[in-house]
Amino acid sequence: MAESITRRSALGTLGVVGVTLAAGALGTPATARAQASPQALGLQETVQDGLKRVFGGRPMKDGSALIKLEIPPIAENGAVVPVNVEVNAPMTPASYVKTIWIVADKNRIPIVARATLTPDAGQAFVGTHIRLGETTDVRAVVEQSDGTLLTAKREVKVTVGGCGG
Amino acid sequence: MAGDIGKIRIRVPSSAKAGDVIRVRCLVIHPMERIERDAQGKIVDRNYNYITRVTATYLGKPVAVFDLTQSVSENPAFSFALKATAPGPVTVTFVDTHGGKYESRADIAFA
Repeated sequence: MAESITRRSALGTLGVVGVTLAAGALGTPATARAQASPQALGLQETVQDGLKRVFGGRPMKDGSALIKLEIPPIAENGAVVPVNVEVNAPMTPASYVKTIWIVADKNRIPIVARATLTPDAGQAFVGTHIRLGETTDVRAVVEQSDGTLLTAKREVKVTVGGCGG
Repeated sequence: MAGDIGKIRIRVPSSAKAGDVIRVRCLVIHPMERIERDAQGKIVDRNYNYITRVTATYLGKPVAVFDLTQSVSENPAFSFALKATAPGPVTVTFVDTHGGKYESRADIAFA
């Protein structure tokens, strides 16, 4: 008897997880927002809320000496803005750059992308193309394997918005 | 255009030496649909098709995993680094919200 109750409650939990995931895929209606995990991406929120949700109150150090954030200062087309992030830090199993987040402050979805790296990468480098809705600060937030958070930001002037969605 | 969804191009250096850190660039053809709003500014609720996850592996081991949102451009390109230890394949897998899974590989050749 006890076994069947455990099984039932386990199934119930799985169901809730499934619903949360499905809601996330559907553009996150307001009801799903409360259930979203702290690591969820793609929520419509302000950048302050987003950073608070993802990183909690953890202190962030100024990493502008270590982080090379390559992004054009003026983006004529906000729909395609190339971003490269390179971190001047070791990539060994003992100490490496674990995660690189790209954050665009004024986008409707400010937490744009997250890259998770392994020491096999040899170098902390990622690049992608992002959308920017309007002139905004773009930040890179770097989490190292010991939990240290570093951040650097640059302003990008956007001539034609790409509607970050 | 629609028929090209999931077409992937991967660019690796033509030759590498053991221990080199090389950069790989890949591009996928994908609409990365943006959130649409109706005349009242309300979000149109439907299952938007965009890529949520990109996984890059080298010699079967993950090197970089990207988690994405709709703030990433149409036909997105991704770059990452890897430490070449032996000749072998780099595999990149893209997963989108409509259940699409696209994969391609390129080989790292040693000079």
